[in-house]
Amino acid sequence: MLTRLQTTPIAITLALLLTACAAPQSRNLLRDQPAHIPSRFELTQTPFHPQERYQCGPAALAMALGAAGVDIEPEQIVPQVYLPERQGSLQVEMLASARRNQTIAYELAPVIDDLLTEVAAGNPAVVLQNLGLSWSPRWHYAVVVGYDLAAGEILLRSGLEQRQIMRLHNFEHTWARSGHWAMLTLPPGQLPATAKEETFTQAAVAFEATGFNASARATYAAALSRWPKNFTARMGLGNTAYALNDLDAAAAAFRQAGIDHPDATAAHNNLAHVLHQQQHFEEALTSARQAVALGGPLEDTARGTLAEIEASMTTHSIQQRAR
Amino acid sequence: MKNPIKRFTSHVLIVSILTLGSPLPYANAAMVGTAQVATENAQSDRERVLAFMERDDMQQQFQSLGVDTQTAKQRVAALSDAEIASIAGKLDMAPAGAGLVGAVVTVFVVLLITDIIGLTRVFPFTRSLR
Repeated sequence: MLTRLQTTPIAITLALLLTACAAPQSRNLLRDQPAHIPSRFELTQTPFHPQERYQCGPAALAMALGAAGVDIEPEQIVPQVYLPERQGSLQVEMLASARRNQTIAYELAPVIDDLLTEVAAGNPAVVLQNLGLSWSPRWHYAVVVGYDLAAGEILLRSGLEQRQIMRLHNFEHTWARSGHWAMLTLPPGQLPATAKEETFTQAAVAFEATGFNASARATYAAALSRWPKNFTARMGLGNTAYALNDLDAAAAAFRQAGIDHPDATAAHNNLAHVLHQQQHFEEALTSARQAVALGGPLEDTARGTLAEIEASMTTHSIQQRAR
Repeated sequence: MKNPIKRFTSHVLIVSILTLGSPLPYANAAMVGTAQVATENAQSDRERVLAFMERDDMQQQFQSLGVDTQTAKQRVAALSDAEIASIAGKLDMAPAGAGLVGAVVTVFVVLLITDIIGLTRVFPFTRSLR
């Protein structure tokens, strides 16, 4: 039993915590420690690059990329993300640079639990902190590599410190002032531990645009292993297979997309396109007609595909007769 | 002077279109890209709105309006795709940081959501569900 004398300071502290500046996520996390992650964990293998002057963005990204198996120096990243005028790097450019270096840039949900879950799964997270105040910000990128819930601490590779120990409460304040921004740089084909269907498929679509088709294909395959009915991922699988000239795999993906989502004009249109290229004219014709019948915003595209197939069928039959 | 030229051109066009079949659709024939498919996904709008409602600043706004977030989310889940899209369109204007502009937009979006699900009646252009 606690005596009155013991409880009073606790009550005062609690009251101060509640009124002054609450760090709600840390408070809940430290009170009810989650069962799905170990109470302490550290990624000791994550490489360390001390930052040069204001270049915490390139340094943090190089560390995360290194952990994902991409061996790169911060200097190589500087021209991709660093804005000399602003003496810093924008979040969108951090995401884009991660993709340019052949990793999947995945933005985490604004939840500390997710952050720690990723670290415990072996994925160090790049975080944006505001070490200053909201009206006088001092932006800083660091990498979360560990935590100790019993001690209420989080471990970071930050600036010139290879192993910065920060109180979880303090960290939450600095992180909240950046809008709880955090990202992972994942090797293609790997899902985040806290993967959200929509966020991950969007990340995969953004990655596909970089043109690393084989890696993008592996990423869509990973998404489908978790969410087999996801339309975007299935279409992505087909489109990347098509880009890699694997027409059989492309046709299989579009066919599956059409089965899972019979109303999807795009699935039937793309299947028709691939079958046409494989000279399976009759099947191509059937798919193209299905696409046209479904209509919608892609109706013109579907009509175009149908016309193309019909035209080459005519040419084909003329050639056959000529022989 | 101009008319005969126009007439000649139109005749040429009519003849060429009639004899060559309809060449116009060819320009459109293409594979549909993944990004194009992804943006058409109405489901994503819904998830974005729900994710937005989970944000701390949104929760506070709901609380100050006396709205139970859980109930609000259930009702948002029941909205039509078009209604969801109209909310999702506003989300892009609401930055994560709670600057002055951000706060104004946040309040706007909160009121828009509560209006549509019938808890408030602020905007004339919203149609309440009940």
